[in-house]
Amino acid sequence: MAETERNPDQLYDDIVAQYGPALERLAYAYEADPEIRRDLLQEIHIALWRSFAGFDGRCSQRTWVYRVAHNVAASHVGRHARDRKRTLVGLDNLANLPDPEGQQSADRRRALNRLMEVIQQLEPLDRQVMLAYLEGMDAAETAEITGLSARNVATKIHRIKAVLARRFQEGGRNER
Amino acid sequence: MNGESSNDREMRELWQSQKTEGVRMSVEQIRLSAGKFQRRIEWRNAREYAAALVVVAFFGFQFIRTGDALTRLGFGLIIAGVCYVIWQLHARGSGRPLPEDMGLASSIEFQRHELKRQRDLLRSVWNWYLGPVIPGLAVLIAAFARTNPGHLKHFELILTTYVLVIAGAFVGIAKLNERAARRLQRRIDELDDLSSQG
Repeated sequence: MAETERNPDQLYDDIVAQYGPALERLAYAYEADPEIRRDLLQEIHIALWRSFAGFDGRCSQRTWVYRVAHNVAASHVGRHARDRKRTLVGLDNLANLPDPEGQQSADRRRALNRLMEVIQQLEPLDRQVMLAYLEGMDAAETAEITGLSARNVATKIHRIKAVLARRFQEGGRNER
Repeated sequence: MNGESSNDREMRELWQSQKTEGVRMSVEQIRLSAGKFQRRIEWRNAREYAAALVVVAFFGFQFIRTGDALTRLGFGLIIAGVCYVIWQLHARGSGRPLPEDMGLASSIEFQRHELKRQRDLLRSVWNWYLGPVIPGLAVLIAAFARTNPGHLKHFELILTTYVLVIAGAFVGIAKLNERAARRLQRRIDELDDLSSQG
């Protein structure tokens, strides 16, 4: 059955099964406060569920999901920017990232915190490109989600890699 | 992705292997949450209306109390102006939910649309926010000038100061909004540049 002909409820269930963890990671990247992050994630889920009635297959399901999620999250950043002097970054909050089984090593956690710190300082559009890169999307798909040209996306990814390399080198030196 | 280096792989692996809470909402939960979300918006709107009602009640009381026809007209026009502002605030969507067709728009298109909406709201502040209460204020000032309550000394000076303070506050609000609109326009231009780059 074509995806566009399916019941939105059924489509939503499949989407959550497929993209649930990625949507959570996206929410981490946009909101450091755990309470507000839960609200944001809920808002993304509601927006997705509402949006499927209009899904017409003009783009892939993945592009649709990421467009909706990023647009909700960017609106969230815009709304909360008025309440804050700057986007929340803070390693204190980043330390609250869930690690229920305590399996992540200290090094790994530090690396993840450093990565999250970089992401949360970025403007929404750059943040979207970086998240797409980290989720393993190619430049064409990232361009479809963001509206940037594929060449522009490639340039941004190149810069992202340079920033990450520099940050991780500096971080490594500081921790020694 | 082609041309993937080991650094890319490590970075992606680090990102994708982070622990998540496994948040899963059933369709029933989503329906409930959407209902709660809607009620939250309605409650927020109700609070705005209640605040407007207090203002209208205050001017309404003055409207009934005064015996002067011109003053009464001034209060009546203020009430009408406040009602218009509240209606515009609601119609222009300060508390509206996000559109359902968000998946059709790329991030740039969506952001540009939202920024333009906010910019237009700020630019037209004279039409829907400041302008509607000006007739009422002008009539009240004229009524005040005509009756000179208490036969105050230095009446012209008091009246001039009164008019200047109100005019200053209105111009100040308009300037702040213009500045905010220019800031939004710069962001819109940046997005236009980005989307036009091939």
